[in-house]
Amino acid sequence: MAIQEVRVANLPEMPDTVGEGLLYDIHHTLGIRDITGVRTAKVYRFEGIGEKDADYLAERLLAEKIFQRYSINRPLLEGPALVEVAYKPGVMNPEAASLIKSAADLGIKGLRAADSSRQYAFYGPGALAGNIELILKKLLVNDTVERVVKESPGTLILEGEPGRTKIIPIRKMTGNELMELSKDKLFLNLEEMMAIKNYFVGLGRDPTDCEVETLAQTWSEHCGHKTFKADILAGGKIKDPFLKRLQDATINASHPLVLSAFVDNSGVMEFFDGWALCGKVETHNSPSAIEPYGGAMTGSGGVFRDVMGTGQGARVIASTDMFCFAPPEIDQSAVPPGCLHPKYLLRKVVAGVRDYGNRMGIPTNNGSVHFHEDFRAKPTVIVGAYGLLPVDRCRKGRPEPGDLAVVIGGRTGRDGIHGATFSSGEMTHRTVDLNAGAVQIGNAIEEKRMSDALLAAGGEGLVQAVTDCGAGGFGSALGEMGSETGVLVRLEQAPLKYPGLSPWEIWLSESQERMVLAVRPEHWSRLSGICRTYNVEAVVLGTFTKDKRLRVTHRGEMVCDLDMEFLHHGLPRRVLEARWTAPEPRPAVPGPPRDWKEAYCKVMSHPDVCSKEPIVRMYDHGVQGTNAMPPFGGVAGDGPNDAVVLTPLYGRPCGVVISHGLNPVLNNINPYYGSLWAAAEAVANAVAAGAGPGEICLIDNFIWPYPDPESLGALDMAVDACADFVKATGIPFISGKDSLSSTYRGAGGTVIKIPPVLCVSVFGRIRDVRHTVSAPFKKAGSALALVGRRDPSAMAGSVYCRLSGTEGTNLPQVDPRALMDTLRSLHAAIESGKVLACHDISEGGLAAALAEMCIGGDVGAEVWMEHGDVPEEFLFNETSGVFLVETEDEKQLLELFGGTPCKIIGRTARDRSICVYRNGGKLFSVGTDVLKEAWKRPMKEVFGP
Amino acid sequence: MKPMVCILRADGTNCDLETAYAFEKAGAGCRMVHVNQLRSGEEKLSDYQIMALPGGFSYGDDVHSGKILAVELTSFLKESLQEFVGAGKPVLGICNGFQVLVRTGLLPERRLGDISCALVNNDSGRFECRWVSLVIEDSPCIFTRGMAGSCASVQVAHGEGKFLAGDDVLDALESSGQVVFRYAGPEGRATMDYPHNPNGSLRSIAGICDRTGLVLGLMPHPERFVDLHQHPNWRRGMYSMPQGLPLFVNAVKYCL
Repeated sequence: MAIQEVRVANLPEMPDTVGEGLLYDIHHTLGIRDITGVRTAKVYRFEGIGEKDADYLAERLLAEKIFQRYSINRPLLEGPALVEVAYKPGVMNPEAASLIKSAADLGIKGLRAADSSRQYAFYGPGALAGNIELILKKLLVNDTVERVVKESPGTLILEGEPGRTKIIPIRKMTGNELMELSKDKLFLNLEEMMAIKNYFVGLGRDPTDCEVETLAQTWSEHCGHKTFKADILAGGKIKDPFLKRLQDATINASHPLVLSAFVDNSGVMEFFDGWALCGKVETHNSPSAIEPYGGAMTGSGGVFRDVMGTGQGARVIASTDMFCFAPPEIDQSAVPPGCLHPKYLLRKVVAGVRDYGNRMGIPTNNGSVHFHEDFRAKPTVIVGAYGLLPVDRCRKGRPEPGDLAVVIGGRTGRDGIHGATFSSGEMTHRTVDLNAGAVQIGNAIEEKRMSDALLAAGGEGLVQAVTDCGAGGFGSALGEMGSETGVLVRLEQAPLKYPGLSPWEIWLSESQERMVLAVRPEHWSRLSGICRTYNVEAVVLGTFTKDKRLRVTHRGEMVCDLDMEFLHHGLPRRVLEARWTAPEPRPAVPGPPRDWKEAYCKVMSHPDVCSKEPIVRMYDHGVQGTNAMPPFGGVAGDGPNDAVVLTPLYGRPCGVVISHGLNPVLNNINPYYGSLWAAAEAVANAVAAGAGPGEICLIDNFIWPYPDPESLGALDMAVDACADFVKATGIPFISGKDSLSSTYRGAGGTVIKIPPVLCVSVFGRIRDVRHTVSAPFKKAGSALALVGRRDPSAMAGSVYCRLSGTEGTNLPQVDPRALMDTLRSLHAAIESGKVLACHDISEGGLAAALAEMCIGGDVGAEVWMEHGDVPEEFLFNETSGVFLVETEDEKQLLELFGGTPCKIIGRTARDRSICVYRNGGKLFSVGTDVLKEAWKRPMKEVFGP
Repeated sequence: MKPMVCILRADGTNCDLETAYAFEKAGAGCRMVHVNQLRSGEEKLSDYQIMALPGGFSYGDDVHSGKILAVELTSFLKESLQEFVGAGKPVLGICNGFQVLVRTGLLPERRLGDISCALVNNDSGRFECRWVSLVIEDSPCIFTRGMAGSCASVQVAHGEGKFLAGDDVLDALESSGQVVFRYAGPEGRATMDYPHNPNGSLRSIAGICDRTGLVLGLMPHPERFVDLHQHPNWRRGMYSMPQGLPLFVNAVKYCL
């Protein structure tokens, strides 16, 4: 039967916000001014029903007469310049399932498939083929998942015959042949390929494709973290593996609140009243680089599932996002081949985080965006999630032999095949072409209902163990869950999105929104009932055994039979050389600016400093009703806070604090002190809001270039910095992740190393959120002090130096022990209730912190420098772990911070300007409205007015 | 006896917990009821005194926000919904719940299947989450009894919140006192200025009720301000009480 096409558009007299948004981009991003109008229509296609039913659907479901019109099997928009953009076949359009459901609810029978897409009509003298080509390429179509519809499809139904399981003649292969097999697909090195070969030589048979792929996934950098588990040869000595150093530091800190560290899907710490908190932070750089919207969505979805799959199931209560991009104004010609423009990336990544988090009902309320031109080849996209779970269900049970392996959630398709191995490889100019299958569009609603069902099942004690299907799919999830017992899997049980998947594809597909549970056979019927109520598909995929083997069958054929021991412990341990050469020491001495006002405004509008409010407003950061300190507050709601504070137990004042720190610039100068800076910044943000330094835990994310000796040398120092930080402060890392593929190799040998990033995230507990303090100033006439130790001359890496083009090695060197003293005394001061406002110093220095606090409080300030102070250092030094504190009067400051470095620097003022005095004379003054405009402009330019 | 609230859930509902907390704080008992449980008969609407449709993205807001759930309700639960409102029981729709009420036809005229107004894309073209000020109109709405003329600070969080209807419908709503909330500027008067009116709603309408005042729908989230510390500026001492709570208290009082 033919396909029925329904087109729906807004009435001509009604605005079309989708068209207007696109037009804005055509004018402002592409600079095409002579396209004067864009109108859009939704196109719905239905297969298996007649025109009358299509008309009924249009009338009752698709078009609302108040503002829309429709057509059936006829054009609707008019004009010569029409294009339609749709998802590629096989990319699951989340709307299709809703169309099918609603048609059934309306009593329409026979509908076999449905799809939706969007049509665009361009008007004006510039609506010409060349311009439209450009619009499609730059704004509308991502080739990875989308296409231009040239003619109506003949069918919406995907057909296919499953490929047969292949035998890989690995035993006969030479070194070259092994590496050819590995290249672009397995991403294993020769030693690892040899280990696989030898294993099968020992067995006397060749492996199946499924077995080779399973080993490659399990041994991938992404899943196996082999660099972090390798011995390190540095300075002629063998040092402990990175992971062991981090774990040992945590064990030695023996923090009383830690419930589980580095073992579960996320780290778990004690909260209050029988509840625990868990936290996990993930990177999603490779997928986001080639399809930023889908990549960011699946990044969010994955980290949410990590939290959902912690212990016996947690409820996600917050999400965070930290990004690094090239500056949005960078010229297209500076973007390497195969890479996308940073402005496009930024907007699409934000849209992906927005659409997944908002739909899941998870407040995204802590984050940051950083810019450096070396991110032009690959962005850094970090997403975090935090959850709440009962202490008595915060540890996983073990599957017992006989337990069922149950998969719940979305169906399995060809999505993300090779995602784990792909993200472990370097980005090359071939990446976009070769690995297109590695990204998909997330379906947040699928994950939301799965979460609802899982929480209901967990509440009834039906879940022995649970884990998410992330990188490596069923293979990774079941391989890990069954590692102590063994598991027998019947792949034909897996619900598929479409036919035609080979067994190994089903096994390793990274289709999103799926989780694997271990369930006692007697609980299966109740579990499947709960899943039915929530519209969640659940099937028994296999059984846990006691043979310690990973056995996978497909329609009776054995496609994988591996020893768990070899799978998990057969990976050859590496010894890696680490070598970092310190640059020749030279101080950055930027000197004073020509014009103080101009310099202040430039710092405020630097992309690292400028207001990110337009991003935060697009996230539903208030859902769940738990914000006790939102990302922005103050008189007009535009003053940023340092951390977010949530009250997830309704009606109780106990709070969760979440913050983070990272600085990609400093690690390039000195990875040790750059990393200490990040840790100090993260912790300072939490304590500035009112958290006690003894009640917080940390999460590490190392996003590093490909581990050659030089990069490993830097990583070695960063890891040592983290371990030293734990030793000095007692604040432990309890979860972490590394992503060591931030290198781009272009044709012709260009190599771009993305700046090494350490992101340190903090989560912790606060007994009573009424003892927290926000950053905006509270009134005029109060006293201001700078609290904490800093060497103002340590200017290297600061925004002020970067703007003036001054480079050097004198970066801020945080002393974690001194920091801890400052944090303790600041915390006591906040607890006493006498601190009116507190903001930590970071990018942009004291000047930026002061301006932000003035803007939030709608007041001005006077600042006095002493004789020896160098003004540009005083104002723009960026030492972390230093705070700007507001109290009623100076006497209070002296009482509160007796034994701590504390320098009284000025007062807040009714007049809305910042006046800076030196030696009794006025150095300059600038209106806060001028600073505010400079500070708000850059992101408005990216995201629209 | 505590009045029992049916907090209706569907795939993608997500403001259910805080809505339940708001009603509980106001003195009600709550149960989360999935629409499938009503369809299967496992749960009955008639067992409840109040029905709440919370915010979220029911069925992903596919096609139109709230549309798929509205079609489901009018296809399978028409009689029990009519019975429920016919029995004089309050219904509250917040954000996505408001979109659902409008798309079922329960608002504004309690005629299921008759859609006379719509909530469409914000004029800004963006999803936005921000605190706004509402002025409360004189209306028969039982949720805002005794509050006419006052202002409330609440959070909005939506991408499709622009209230749209023909002039005749808007005139009728106004003349019968069915406009319950309007977006207000800093001086407390209804406004069309962005961002105080965050979505471009015609006549600044943020929430409406039916003629009896029992069915209320609004885009902002009163359930996000039932404890003082939920407001971003509680530290400035600007508020003496949480301004979303009275709506829930009034509904509970009405049932007692």
